[in-house]
Amino acid sequence: MTDGWNIVVCVKQVPDADDVSIDPETGRLNRSDAEAVMNAPDYNAVEAALELRDEVGGTVTALSMGPPNADAVLRVAVGMGADDGVLLSDPAFGGSDTWPTSLALARAAEELDADVVFGGEETTDSSTGQVPPGIAAHNGWAQLTYVEELESRPEEDKLVAKRDVEGGYERVAAELPVVVAMGFGENDPRPAGLHRKIYAETDFEPETWTAEDLGIEDEVGLAVSPTQVGGMDTADPVPREQEVVDETDELAEQIAEVL
Amino acid sequence: MSETPNYDSEYDAIVVGAGLAGSTAALTMARDGLDVIMIERGPSPGTKNVFGGVLYTPRIRELTDFDDAPKERYVAKKTYSMLSEEGDETSMSIAPSSWREEPHNNSWMVLRADFDEWFAEQAVEAGAMLVTETTVTDLIKENGEVVGVETDRPDGELRAPMVVLAEGANSLVSEAAGLKDRDDRDNVAVSVKEVRKYDREKLEDRFHIDGDAGLAAHYFGDGACGDAVGGGFLYTNKRTVSIGVVYSIEDAAHDKKTPDEVLEEFKQHPAVAPLVRGGRMVEYSAHAIPEGGPDSMPELVHDGAVIVGDAAGLVLNSGVHLEGTNMAVESGYHAGRAVADALAQGRTDEAALASYETNLRDSYVVENLEHYGWFMDTAAEEKEFLFDDLPRALGRAGDAYFKMDNTPKDEHVSEAKSHILDATGGWLGAAKKAWKFRKMLS
Ligand SMILES: Cc1cc2nc3c(=O)[nH]c(=O)nc-3n(C[C@H](O)[C@H](O)[C@H](O)COP(=O)(O)OP(=O)(O)OC[C@H]3O[C@@H](n4cnc5c(N)ncnc54)[C@H](O)[C@@H]3O)c2cc1C
Ligand SMILES: Cc1cc2nc3c(=O)[nH]c(=O)nc-3n(C[C@H](O)[C@H](O)[C@H](O)COP(=O)(O)OP(=O)(O)OC[C@H]3O[C@@H](n4cnc5c(N)ncnc54)[C@H](O)[C@@H]3O)c2cc1C
Repeated sequence: MTDGWNIVVCVKQVPDADDVSIDPETGRLNRSDAEAVMNAPDYNAVEAALELRDEVGGTVTALSMGPPNADAVLRVAVGMGADDGVLLSDPAFGGSDTWPTSLALARAAEELDADVVFGGEETTDSSTGQVPPGIAAHNGWAQLTYVEELESRPEEDKLVAKRDVEGGYERVAAELPVVVAMGFGENDPRPAGLHRKIYAETDFEPETWTAEDLGIEDEVGLAVSPTQVGGMDTADPVPREQEVVDETDELAEQIAEVL
Repeated sequence: MSETPNYDSEYDAIVVGAGLAGSTAALTMARDGLDVIMIERGPSPGTKNVFGGVLYTPRIRELTDFDDAPKERYVAKKTYSMLSEEGDETSMSIAPSSWREEPHNNSWMVLRADFDEWFAEQAVEAGAMLVTETTVTDLIKENGEVVGVETDRPDGELRAPMVVLAEGANSLVSEAAGLKDRDDRDNVAVSVKEVRKYDREKLEDRFHIDGDAGLAAHYFGDGACGDAVGGGFLYTNKRTVSIGVVYSIEDAAHDKKTPDEVLEEFKQHPAVAPLVRGGRMVEYSAHAIPEGGPDSMPELVHDGAVIVGDAAGLVLNSGVHLEGTNMAVESGYHAGRAVADALAQGRTDEAALASYETNLRDSYVVENLEHYGWFMDTAAEEKEFLFDDLPRALGRAGDAYFKMDNTPKDEHVSEAKSHILDATGGWLGAAKKAWKFRKMLS
C-alpha cells in the first residue's frame, strides 16, 4: 500500500469534568455551567492516530457525533494535526445510547473507507467504554482495546498491539480494518502548532453528515436505544465499623468468624 | 497532514493577553475593520485573574451592551475603616442615594472569570480571533522594530504589523523584549485574596444589602496588614465575599510574615472576623500589582508595539483607591484607535502611534495617576504615623470622646484631642500632616 492508511479517530465532546457537580437536593448532574471540552482520553487516541500516520503515511480524519457545536472537538483534533474532520449531527441522533452511537460511527468509518479507527478508552461523562467495540461489532472488524503500544506492519496489512490485561500484557496482531481503543494516558498528546491551531479554529470547516446521509435514519435515536436512564442516585458513604485488636490471633479469629 | 496555511501578516495586529485592556483594544480595532488576533495563555480569558473587586465601567458601557454582562452587585455603599493592631476600629461609610440608581456610579463587583470571558466574546463578535492556552514568550524584533511574537507552541512565531502588549502586571514579555524596565521592587504590591461562599440570604442579611446592591469595604492601619504600607478589602458578590490584603512587596520582603499570615491576621481582627465567619473557601490566590504611579510608567509607544493596562503601570493604588480596570479599558481604547489610525496611513512607527500617549495624557488616566502618585511616597515616609499611631489614637480618642463615666464631657473631648495630638506631634504637627495629606481626599 503506497499511499498509506485511512485512519479515523473518534472524538467526543463532553462537559468539563472539573465543572460538573451533583445537585445534592435533586441528585441530578449539574452540567449547565460546565464548559464543553474534548474527552480527555481522546487526546491519547488522536496522538496514537498521528503517530501511526507518521509511520505508515496516509491521512487522519477526526469523527464526532454530537450537536452542531461539537465541531469544536474536531477543531482540537485538526489543530493537533488531523487532516480533516467529519461531524455527525442530526436531531435524529438525539437520545442515542451506545448502540446507535456506535452504529453511526461505524457507518461513517465505512464511508471514509477506514483501515484503522481509533477511540479513547472511555468517556468522562458516561464511561461505558462500549463505543469502540460497538463500532467493530457493527462492521464486523477486528478490535484492540486497552492498547498501550502499537506496532504497524503495513506490508502485511496488520496492526500489532501491546494490550494491558490483568496481571501483565499480551501482544495481539489484528488484520485491517481494525478498531483500536487506546489506553488512557499511554502516550503524550502533542501540543497544537500555532499556525495549525489558528487554521483549525478559523479557516477549517468540517463536513457535516446527517443520519440520512448514512442511510440509518430509522436505526438511531431514543426510540431504538435498548438502554434508558432510569434515574440517578447519590450514594451516601456507608459508615464502617472500626475496631482495634491487640493480638494477631484475635484478628484471625474475628476474620474467621465473618467468613 | 493537510496543508497548514501560514498566518504571518494575515492579521493587522496581535494582542498579547485577553484581559480588560487587551479585549478593549481588540474590540476597538475590530470595529475599525482591522483583522485582530488575541493570544491568551489561560484556558479562557479571566481564569487566571485574581482581582477581587470593583469594575469601573464608564467606557465599557459605551463599547458594549453592558446590561447583558455577567456581573455580581453594584457598589451601593463604601466603607473606609482604620484598624489598630489592638482591635480598634474607626470607620466612615458612604452610601449616596444616587448610587442606587442607574448607572450605579459605574461601579460593579464582577467575577473576572465570568466577565473577561464575556468581554473577549464581544471582541470576537466584532470579528477578532481569540487563541487560548497559548503563552507569548517574547517579541520578534527586526531593526529595533517589533514585527511579531514568539509563543510556547511548536511553529510558534506569528508576525503582524502591530503588537499590543496587554499582558497585565506581570509583564514578562515587555520586559524580556526590552520595552520596559523590570519593576522596582518597591513599585510592586503583593496581594493575597480569598473568596468565601455563603448562602445568598445569609450574605445579604449579614451585610444589610438586597437586590443587586453590594458593599465595598476598605481597611487601613496595622490591624489591616501589619507593618506594611497597604490595606485590606472586602467585597460582596452575589453569593461570595472576596477578602484580601494588598501591600508593598518591599515590606513583604522585610517582614517575617508570609502573605497568607497577613491575610489570616486581618481576617481575625475583631472588626472583620464576624463578617467572614463561616462559609466555605472556594478560591485562594496571590498576585503582584504595580503601584508605581506616573513615574514608573514605561514608554507606551514603540515602533510596531504599544503597551496598555497594568503592563503599562496604569494602576492607581493609593491606599484610598485601588483602580486599574477603568484605566486598562481606557488605555486599550485609545491604543486601539491609535493603531487603527496609524495603519490607515500604512504606518507602524512610534511617531504615527503617538496619539495613543497624547490621548491618554489628555484623559483622566494620567491625570489621576499624577494626582495620587505622591501618595505612596508620602505613605512610606509617614508609615508609622499612618498605619500605627493614627489608627490607635483614633480608637483611643473615640473611646475617650464617648466614654460613659462620671466626668464632664469637656474632659472627654480634651482627652480625645490629646490622644490625636500625641500621635500627630502637637497642633503644629497635626497642621503639617493635614497639609501633607490634603490631596488624599481631594
Ligand atoms: C445508561 C446510559 C443512558 C444514556 N442515555 C442517553 C440519552 O438518553 N441521551 C443522550 O444523548 N446520551 C445518553 N447517554 C450517553 C450516550 O449513550 C453516550 O455518551 C454515547 O453513546 C457514548 O458512550 P460513552 O460516552 O460511554 O462512550 P465510551 O464508549 O466510553 O467512549 C469510548 C470512546 O468512543 C468514542 N466515542 C464515544 N462517543 C462518541 C461520539 N459521540 N462521537 C465520537 N466518538 C465517540 C471516543 O473515542 C471515546 O473515547 C447515555 C449513557 C448511558 C451510559
Ligand atoms: C487583588 C486585586 C484587587 C484589585 N481590585 C481592583 C478594584 O477593586 N478595582 C479596580 O479597578 N482594579 C482593581 N485591581 C486592578 C485590576 O485588576 C487591574 O488593573 C486590571 O485587571 C488590569 O487589566 P489588564 O487587562 O491590564 O490586565 P489583566 O486583567 O491582568 O489581563 C492580562 C491578561 O493577559 C494574559 N497574559 C499575561 N501574560 C501573557 C502572555 N505572556 N501570553 C499570553 N497571555 C498573557 C493573562 O492571562 C490575562 O488574561 C485589583 C487587582 C488585584 C490583583
